[in-house]
Amino acid sequence: MKREITLNINRELETLTIDDADTLLEVLSERLKLWSVRESCGVGVCGSCTVLVDGQPVSSCLLLATRAAGEITTLEGLQTGSSLHEIQQAFVEERALQCAYCTPGFVLTVKAFLEQNRNPSDQEIREYLAGNLCRCAGYADIIRAVRSAQAKINSR
Amino acid sequence: MAIRSFDLLQPRSLPEAVAMLARHGDDARALGGGTTLVILMKQRALYYPYLVDLQTIPGLAEINAESDGIRIGALVTHRRLECSPVIRASFPALADAFGQIGNVRIRQTASVGGNLAHADYRLDPPPALLVLGAEVSLFGANGARTVPLGQFFRGLYETVLEPAELLIDIKVPFMPENSRAVYLRYNTLSANDWPCLGVAAFLTKANGRCRELRVALGGLASTPVLVGGLDFIKDQTLDFAVIERLLDTVDQQIAPFADLRGSEWYKRRMARLFVKKAVEQLSAAW
Repeated sequence: MKREITLNINRELETLTIDDADTLLEVLSERLKLWSVRESCGVGVCGSCTVLVDGQPVSSCLLLATRAAGEITTLEGLQTGSSLHEIQQAFVEERALQCAYCTPGFVLTVKAFLEQNRNPSDQEIREYLAGNLCRCAGYADIIRAVRSAQAKINSR
Repeated sequence: MAIRSFDLLQPRSLPEAVAMLARHGDDARALGGGTTLVILMKQRALYYPYLVDLQTIPGLAEINAESDGIRIGALVTHRRLECSPVIRASFPALADAFGQIGNVRIRQTASVGGNLAHADYRLDPPPALLVLGAEVSLFGANGARTVPLGQFFRGLYETVLEPAELLIDIKVPFMPENSRAVYLRYNTLSANDWPCLGVAAFLTKANGRCRELRVALGGLASTPVLVGGLDFIKDQTLDFAVIERLLDTVDQQIAPFADLRGSEWYKRRMARLFVKKAVEQLSAAW
């Protein structure tokens, strides 16, 4: 069935007509051209399509768009003006990306994580990020970037 | 791949949801968190022209403490249960079992009722809920009924749920004094994968000796197993001979089948190992 919905995306309201079968990923990536939201595995395992709903990470590939109530944040919503978010800066400085396909998902997951836990242990970081896959195998750099982002955010 | 078009029906009450399911019969399915159903429809392994959205029914996503236990609404997410202070305080083993499922995004989306109703054999929560003596409330055209979780699972992806009947909540009774429970998950593939097996154990002690021991295992066969015949544990201490007898009893009651995560032989060995670990952790905790 087609229906009109209003989504709150990156602090802006978007009203659009969608099909009940549309996933949030399809709406964000194909309709709204938010290209940081990327499909990879399509079954919630890899984390490439991660977005935040009310600050919590979800896989947009298996969330029906009609059910996406709340404030949706994609990577595009992190930036203010032309300056990168601290987590993005940390990823650049620590070279925690290579092909960067997985990076938006990681950055958003780290954002949710550091908001819940300002002083995590290494084990807690690994457990929380275990659901995001990086096939360039930059995990050590990514964990360093989390520490760097944590320092930047905590010293705001 | 895009999902074939369907109609999402949005009931406002349980009777309305049940009526929708009854009206459309095999053409409709209840939608909880959607982590399984949406994937299966996306992969075109399943198709339903109608999905009945349970998220639009008020009151199904609550965690309420009652006089004798805690009632968990079917639409509570795994993540909420995992992080809930009241669950962590009363049933840390249950928070652990839910906290080890999939990844944080799946746990943020999946519902506890959907998890049980799906009845996959590799689920983490059933062993933990079985040793805690949980029961589930079901709601259908003839009203509500309560079923102990031990009688809920009938086979691979099969439960006692009738057509157009819904699992609406899970009731977990408070543990008696001097009781502890633990859930251990054993992964043979990645951390995101289903477990090779999951073991839950529950121990009540009195005067330094065992009063009651319950053990349940998941991931081995079509349905989770709550091990019977453990009365011999009463008034014993968990010494080598008692633990060996326990492990033999467990071994007699499981019938593992081989899958990607282990052969039958391997799963039997691991069942012994993890039951032993679980029981030792419980007895060391005192």
